[in-house]
Amino acid sequence: MTLSIREAFGKELVKIGKKNKKIVAVSCDLKDACKLSFFFNKFPKRSFEIGIAEANAVGIAAGLSMSGFRPFLASFASFITGKNVEIRTSISYNKCGVVIVGTHGGLIGPDGATQSSVQDVAVMRSLPYFEIFQPSTPNETKQIINYTAKNKKPTYLRIARNEVIEFLPKNYKFKAGTPSIIYKGKNNLVISSGPILANCFAAVKKIKKNIGILNLSSLKPLDEKHMVRILKKYKNIITVEDHSIIGGLGSIIAEICAKNKLNKNLKIHGIKDDFVDSDTPSSLEKFYKLDIKSLEKIFKKFFKI
Amino acid sequence: MSKKNALECCKNIRKKILFSIYHARSGHVGPSLSSVELIYSILKFGINYKKINRNKFILSKGHAAPAFYAALDEFNLLKKNELKTLRKVNSRLQGHPDKKKLNHVDSGTGALGQGLSISIGYYLGSKLLNKKNKIFCLLGDGEIQEGQIWESAMYIGAHKIKDIIVFIDGNKFQNERSISETLPEKNLLEKWNSFGFKTTKINGHSLQALSKVIKGFLQNQNKKPLLVYCDTIKGKGISFMENNNKFHSVKDLSEENYKKAISELS
Repeated sequence: MTLSIREAFGKELVKIGKKNKKIVAVSCDLKDACKLSFFFNKFPKRSFEIGIAEANAVGIAAGLSMSGFRPFLASFASFITGKNVEIRTSISYNKCGVVIVGTHGGLIGPDGATQSSVQDVAVMRSLPYFEIFQPSTPNETKQIINYTAKNKKPTYLRIARNEVIEFLPKNYKFKAGTPSIIYKGKNNLVISSGPILANCFAAVKKIKKNIGILNLSSLKPLDEKHMVRILKKYKNIITVEDHSIIGGLGSIIAEICAKNKLNKNLKIHGIKDDFVDSDTPSSLEKFYKLDIKSLEKIFKKFFKI
Repeated sequence: MSKKNALECCKNIRKKILFSIYHARSGHVGPSLSSVELIYSILKFGINYKKINRNKFILSKGHAAPAFYAALDEFNLLKKNELKTLRKVNSRLQGHPDKKKLNHVDSGTGALGQGLSISIGYYLGSKLLNKKNKIFCLLGDGEIQEGQIWESAMYIGAHKIKDIIVFIDGNKFQNERSISETLPEKNLLEKWNSFGFKTTKINGHSLQALSKVIKGFLQNQNKKPLLVYCDTIKGKGISFMENNNKFHSVKDLSEENYKKAISELS
């Protein structure tokens, strides 16, 4: 069964909102696209439509949070994380508990470069106190939303619009800060998260060799010691992301390797330092070599299989 | 407190601004001095820091932090000698207000244009909790060049929010030059009117005018969102700093200038 990650987010937030009255929703005229509309319909009094004014929405969410609420502010990732100085001063500097939900990260389709966010993780990682999560399946999305609804930290959720199969094991438990091995494998490791992880998963399955897969949905915080213990077990490591190769998931792994003097054969695969074009998501995945077939080739070549 | 005492308090606040900036060897002296009566009146009539559930004060023009700290000190809300720690590591009195360090700060500010949006958030939060808190927001006249101010003005007007009072410290200067040399304000009050505000213009150094407008606001006399343009003088109270934009932000307040300034207040 497939379910889009943003839909899983929207529905779960309603469930949580029934019990937790501190949850409020803030929208910038994109609540339908972000699936925040489910919450708006159910809890109109706790929902605020700010209009096409993301900077104002960031400040309003900060004020709501400092009044004791847990606002979920959702918009396209490119638009909302583009409000850097507003997020930096009103949310980060105040260390206030706003959850920014950036949908439409990665290769979103025909709307093209301006709406497709492939820089958001890089931008958000540098802001103090922020936790950053990128769920990979509908089930993990639900778990992550429940975790974020409970705590009070500034949070960035990168929620994809893609439909993804539920490939994580049934007993899968998300834990903030902890990377999760899906396949152990030997010598070779693929690290990814978000909907692209599903493509990695399929590609590895096709190769039918002993390749490990790691789900890095908790981009920040990250238990570094735990990560080092995992990385030490592998020789060849490839990171895969629908995000710029600058400052995203690959950079996180490279930083850990450098800091801990891990001499690994590391490849960072993602979007080169550029904007992405318009087309269908599947054509874009092919073009940027993030589809199953391309990943299969890349893995074979890199792992010398 | 009698009127004379209030005047005395404002004089003390000015001395404290100069004292802390002199010790910090830097700071925004001009825009702090222009907002003394404003901040004093807001804290005196509007904010009771001893209450848990209280009104909020958002100093959107965060660079007037020295005036805010000096006023807090005047109300005995800071530690002894704390003003000497302005702009130093580990101090609660950072260059621009830091909520994480100082409880009296209702929002950290410093990047201009954001305080009015935060005020709206506080208002919505208070409304959801069925509390009747009032929000005081102080903007600089240069600050309103930021687009976000107009996003928030549009929201306040559209939702007819009457529990936020917006003050503009109209000292006619910004960082580099005068407002009129940078982006002249044409029909400023009409602009706010057209967004749905009731606007009034008062002398921002008149304690009487300020207390009148604040008390009216607290008694819910306004039928519309309220904008108060306060005509002020940058560097107010010190002859050689008044309308002299060299004293917008001082790198190092010389001992000579410091002593001269203090003597003018004594």
